[in-house]
Amino acid sequence: MMAIRELKVCLLGDTGVGKSSIVCRFVQDHFDHNISPTIGASFMTKTVPCGNELHKFLIWDTAGQERFHSLAPMYYRGSAAAVIVYDITKQDSFHTLKKWVKELKEHGPENIVMAIAGNKCDLSDIREVPMKDAKEYAESIGAIVVETSAKNAVNIEELFQGISRQIPPLDPHENGNNGAIKLGKQTSQTGRRCC
Amino acid sequence: MCTAEASASLLQVEETFSACLARIDALILKPLLQAEPTDQKGKENLKLFLRLNDRFQALWSLTEENYRILKQKCSASESFCIQDIYTLKGPNYQIYQLVSCEAWKHHKTVLKQFLTDFTSETSMSLALYTVLHKPIRDHIMQYILLLTKLNEDVVTSAIKEYMKLESFVSQVLDEACFTKSLWKSLSYKFTDMLCVPERRLLEDSKNLPISASTNRSDRVLLFDDVLVLIQGNSFQSFDLKLVWVDENSITLSSLVSPAFLFLCPQAVWQWKLNQAVRQALNGKRDFPLWGKTGEGTEPPSCRFFTYVFKLEGKFKSASYEGEWHWGKPHGKGTLKWRDGRNHVGDFKEGLEHGFGICLVPRRSEDRYDCYKCHWYKGKMRGYGICEYGNDMVYKGYFKDDVRQGFGILENCSAEHSFKYTGQWENDKKNGYGVWEDKDRGERYIGTWLDDHKHGQGIVVTQSGVCYQRTFHADKMVGSGILLLEDDYVYEGNFTEDLTFVGKGKLSFANGFILEGTFTNKSGQGLQTHGILNTSNEQLDDRITKAQLGLEDFPVEKRWKGIYDQFLEFIHSGCKEETEESFMGFHIQTSKELRKSQEYLFCQRYEYCMLLLQQRSPFALKSSLHPLGKLLKALTIAFQATYSGIGANKHLLTMAQEEIKYYAKKIWEFYQGLLRLALEQKGQLPANDQKACSTVLPLILPCFYPELFMLYMLYHEREDDLYCQGIMDLSLFPDIKLLEFLDVQKHLWPLKDLTLTTNQRRSLIKDKCFLSATECLQKLITTVDPREKLVILQKTYEEIESTVSRVVEKDYKLPMDDLLPLLMYVVSRAKIQHLGAEIHLIRDLMDPTNQGGLYDFLLTALESCYEHIQRMRLHQRENCHVTHSS
Repeated sequence: MMAIRELKVCLLGDTGVGKSSIVCRFVQDHFDHNISPTIGASFMTKTVPCGNELHKFLIWDTAGQERFHSLAPMYYRGSAAAVIVYDITKQDSFHTLKKWVKELKEHGPENIVMAIAGNKCDLSDIREVPMKDAKEYAESIGAIVVETSAKNAVNIEELFQGISRQIPPLDPHENGNNGAIKLGKQTSQTGRRCC
Repeated sequence: MCTAEASASLLQVEETFSACLARIDALILKPLLQAEPTDQKGKENLKLFLRLNDRFQALWSLTEENYRILKQKCSASESFCIQDIYTLKGPNYQIYQLVSCEAWKHHKTVLKQFLTDFTSETSMSLALYTVLHKPIRDHIMQYILLLTKLNEDVVTSAIKEYMKLESFVSQVLDEACFTKSLWKSLSYKFTDMLCVPERRLLEDSKNLPISASTNRSDRVLLFDDVLVLIQGNSFQSFDLKLVWVDENSITLSSLVSPAFLFLCPQAVWQWKLNQAVRQALNGKRDFPLWGKTGEGTEPPSCRFFTYVFKLEGKFKSASYEGEWHWGKPHGKGTLKWRDGRNHVGDFKEGLEHGFGICLVPRRSEDRYDCYKCHWYKGKMRGYGICEYGNDMVYKGYFKDDVRQGFGILENCSAEHSFKYTGQWENDKKNGYGVWEDKDRGERYIGTWLDDHKHGQGIVVTQSGVCYQRTFHADKMVGSGILLLEDDYVYEGNFTEDLTFVGKGKLSFANGFILEGTFTNKSGQGLQTHGILNTSNEQLDDRITKAQLGLEDFPVEKRWKGIYDQFLEFIHSGCKEETEESFMGFHIQTSKELRKSQEYLFCQRYEYCMLLLQQRSPFALKSSLHPLGKLLKALTIAFQATYSGIGANKHLLTMAQEEIKYYAKKIWEFYQGLLRLALEQKGQLPANDQKACSTVLPLILPCFYPELFMLYMLYHEREDDLYCQGIMDLSLFPDIKLLEFLDVQKHLWPLKDLTLTTNQRRSLIKDKCFLSATECLQKLITTVDPREKLVILQKTYEEIESTVSRVVEKDYKLPMDDLLPLLMYVVSRAKIQHLGAEIHLIRDLMDPTNQGGLYDFLLTALESCYEHIQRMRLHQRENCHVTHSS
């Protein structure tokens, strides 16, 4: 039996860019051996094989409204990866993305894997954010970038595969300090307090 | 021989005997009675003689009575038959026996005394001796003769009894002679001590060697009440009741004389000794002497006796009343010393062993220390309660007669009442312990050395102030941290009455920091020279909520004594005898319970395992179960630290860590017990991977009130702010609130708003998402973090089902929708101490939940809680802005 690694993934992005649609597509499109409990479209899990490991994504949605931005650290703490979503038809959403990246760099977990998803690529005729801009920006921050369509199931799988590849393989001597949680092991974070 | 003849001759015999007795009375007894005793010995003799006289008179009157009845029967001769004679004689011979036996005993003694008194009149005393006993013997002989002549079946048993009586009388006389000759042969020194009128010699090692190995110069005398060993010029006597004999040895109480032990006594001696011991224990002689042939029963090996110890040692001059076994106190007994000390309880092989109650008088006062404790080989060991004469009570463990291990000492007297809960070593407070000074309203939590506060310690006070200092023999040394009310923090040196002295740093809640030298001259108040730094923002939580004691008292080092006691019990193999001293005094009831299946020793651990698997707290709840007892002790320790004065926010992490550690230890112990139980059953322990997080929810109810109080105090400020926020939101009608929280309009459960004619939809309150709100309110009804999380999940499900009903399809809520809705439900549920609840769940939930569903739900709840606070803060700031502008 392959080792299961639990990876907390946090979804960030403006409201209406299709954060949860991407995850719904990812989770529902493919077989999942065990039906995991979900909280609507807000918390979902999916297990995918990666090398000789199984990666179980624990995907946490966040509220995209501006007023809730300040709550985001509670959600992304302890994440192994963050999927930051923008709408290619909305320049504003790309600005918000940049803000998120900046915040994660400053306050997010160390070594967090960042993946940028330009959603709604099926609507490329009303595109506002050029693919080139996104690519250049992603390169500059060392993030994965793909243009996705939750509607047409484009690049969804690839997005998460990309994340899986970026997750450093489990070092037996190190106790997953990049947000990966090993099953049945207590991470040494007792006494931790939020804020 | 016909009946008439027989009765006639009986009548005659009786008449003669009566006449003879009358003569003796008139000629011998009466004159002797009139003799005035001249000295002490004479008085004693007279006493004995009076007793003899009483017996004689009784015998005489009986004879007279007998004679009278016989005569009556003779005159009414028609119906006279053998049966009558028999019935007449039957009861009487018993009395004869008694009288003659007793009579002769006294005869003998009196005569002997006469002999010593009037040695010149030997012939006369001999004559007296003959005169007194001869008529009776003759009388018995004649009876035997007469009855033999009757030769009827009915009288044969009567004849037998008379024969026995005859031989008994002669044996008694022989014994008396034997004794008399002994007294003559022994030196005055011995007779002075040993010669008692009633005492009879049964055997003498001079006549019959006691065993092959005995030293020749030793002489052993067996009397009917004592065993005497004569060695040279000295002798020792031993009460027969404390003599045990078997084929290997004669055992005397080793506490009486360790030296005296004969090996391999001869069979006759062994038999005689056993008979003598038995008769001494029964308190009466056999009839006929030495019991019926071949029927001699062994004396019991367990006896009840009272004895005063004479030898040097622990029991010197103490009297022991109780059960003995082979020369040693064994079983239940009472030991009393001259100084008033006494011990009632179980003994084993000569020492206190098992449960006992010991009273020790205090030196100066007229009061006692009362120990109710377990003893082990003469010393206190295990659980005990001691009520000291000075109103102090100790409840805890002992070892080798001193307080050792975990224990609680409480002084309930009005003057200086205190309570110490903690570790004891060598009768003194040593190690980690909690001291509560009820007069000062202070509690010290920290380390002790020989009854003094020593090392690191935390002091919490009634007013909520607390500080951490280093102590040295009860005195505070060095600098410490003082956490004052209103979140003032002082670091530096300060006195016991909390006056700052010397260099220090005082941080105010508003972020101002005063650093300098503090002085406090009498009458001038507190003075300081230093720098006030006002550039800082509000104080960090890390300072205002500083957690004490974490590094100084690692959780592994707290309450070691409780675990040690339990470990000792497990390591000893959970023997039943050690169980009692571990468990305390519930054992009487538990013995009854043990019969019921609940408490079967080996099975119960399996039972316990089964129950643990079913997550039932049964085993832990029962104070009869070792684990239950352990938990109870931990609860007491926890309460002693964190309840009352100890409810201080600076102790939260300490308490929280402690509970987690309890769970870990209980899990370990449970595993240990399980392994033991399985090994006893010859099974291999299964490799159980279940984490100790199973135990935490089981034990949490015991600690919840104190723990939750700490959480409430820790989150007091946040909870206040949140409550204000909730109050603000509660003014909103439902629709206004949904709008305010930006809930998308198509999700509004307007269908739920049924209106009466007077109501307007926009003014309706507390109608929307009612099921979810009510579900969330149940959060406070449970203590188990897991159950709380389940409630949270159900709340979410209620929200989703309400939404699905509104939009008339399955609706998967994304966070953009869920968070505002959850915010709505949280603000309507109005849970007072939500911050405390959230953090308690987070700290105590199964760590494997991290990142998972429950973690997400809890984070969502927490973010609502935070957001409500921030809304409130924002509002407040806005107010300030509007006011100032």
